[in-house]
Amino acid sequence: MPPSHRVHQLPGGARLVVEPMPERHSTSMVLMFAGGSRLEDDRLGGVSHFIEHLFFKGTRRRPSSKEIADAIEGVGGFINASTDKELTAYWARVPSERMELGFDVLFDIVANSRLDEADVEKERMVILDELRMYQDQPQDLVQNLFEELIWPGHPLGRDIAGTEESVSRLTRDDILEYADAHYRLPNLVVGAAGSLGIEETIAVVGKGLGLRPEIDGALNASTPGALESPRVLMRRRETEQAHICLGARALSYVHPDRYALDLLNTVLGEGMSSRLFLDIRERLGLAYDVHSFTQKHRDTGYLGVYVGVDPKKAVDAVNAVLMELRALSQTEVAEDELARAKEFTKGRLRLELETTNGVAFWLTYQELLLGQIKTIDEELTLVDAVTADDVKRVAVEVLSGPLQMAVVGPFQRDGAFRLAIGA
Amino acid sequence: MNSVADEAGDEEITPTEIAESIRDCLELDEIDSVPNVRRYLGEALDAVSDGMPADFVAMILYAALGALREGS
Repeated sequence: MPPSHRVHQLPGGARLVVEPMPERHSTSMVLMFAGGSRLEDDRLGGVSHFIEHLFFKGTRRRPSSKEIADAIEGVGGFINASTDKELTAYWARVPSERMELGFDVLFDIVANSRLDEADVEKERMVILDELRMYQDQPQDLVQNLFEELIWPGHPLGRDIAGTEESVSRLTRDDILEYADAHYRLPNLVVGAAGSLGIEETIAVVGKGLGLRPEIDGALNASTPGALESPRVLMRRRETEQAHICLGARALSYVHPDRYALDLLNTVLGEGMSSRLFLDIRERLGLAYDVHSFTQKHRDTGYLGVYVGVDPKKAVDAVNAVLMELRALSQTEVAEDELARAKEFTKGRLRLELETTNGVAFWLTYQELLLGQIKTIDEELTLVDAVTADDVKRVAVEVLSGPLQMAVVGPFQRDGAFRLAIGA
Repeated sequence: MNSVADEAGDEEITPTEIAESIRDCLELDEIDSVPNVRRYLGEALDAVSDGMPADFVAMILYAALGALREGS
């Protein structure tokens, strides 16, 4: 079946991806910029996230955040943005007949923001509060500590929002300079999905492109160095539960085995029929919340497991997780278990692509980060092609790397945790 | 070991009694048949000697128990 999306080259080096979904009542649009927190050095830590917040404070045509929100919410739509490690996305979802308005507001905030000094100071306080809030939320804190262990000393290991020190020090000039360097047309992929005409969308987007075309070559992100040994990073907090993240470096989103890794993750710890859930929660009764997850970037990634557990059972739970990890690299997954994992993965992807927003993000993400777009059928075929041997091979490869473990809980010292992972 | 771990947070059992029980366990040959059990018990004994809270000692003892459970 031919792809139903179309990729259109825009003036200045930007690209547009459009997918008509004529049966829908909404249209979703995304402006996705290559960049994000991994491009920031320590001094500029958090600047991408800071800019994303500031862009909603007001533009020359819509001078306040209320006017920006009113423009979209006044027609029943949604508008939001997110900063990631390798991209920053601004998106809206509006009734289809208001597509032009949706694009107009998004282009307005990324090209015409006022970036007032007073707004910079107000937003700095908001972001510092956000960072302190993460410190008070042990599940967020343990995830941040885990990423610090997985990518030590590298921007990927730093919180996307930066550190209290970096955010306190950022000046308006830093912010203007960074925004000017990165919000350029060659860094931009525009996505749209919904009840729309392709030619009409090209025309609407073409009118909104007010950004500068040149690029300064700032997208050369450094690759993290290799991990030498297992490590434990602990923060003492008088919490009722211990919060633990453990795992290892894994695969990038361009690695051919990434589908096998996703299936491994599903078998291990996604959902209530996963091995971790059935063993650690149901059989051993050790933890209320246990699950696994992956993160993938251009040249690196990780496989992690989170456990929320009674502090007295913390090391016991870690050992039980380690047993499950070892089992995956020692014995092939049974055919029926692999088949269930494939149906789970394929079903989740189909559900994700039910909405115009899901489709717009999926297409834009692929075009920006991979430079090509797979159709859903191509993606499902690659999932189906994974064998039990592939899953075992990936488990062996991933788990041969040094394990890293972050712990947040009422613990005086980390010896027993280090013993568990041989650190 | 099970009763020591279960009662480690109980005020009726003293650190001295916990330490004695751990030392008794360390004398058992069986614990060497499963990796790390002896080391966990050693950690637990150090924790008792250093005055660590009973729940912390219990955590290490539960780790030893878990290793025994999976290794047996």
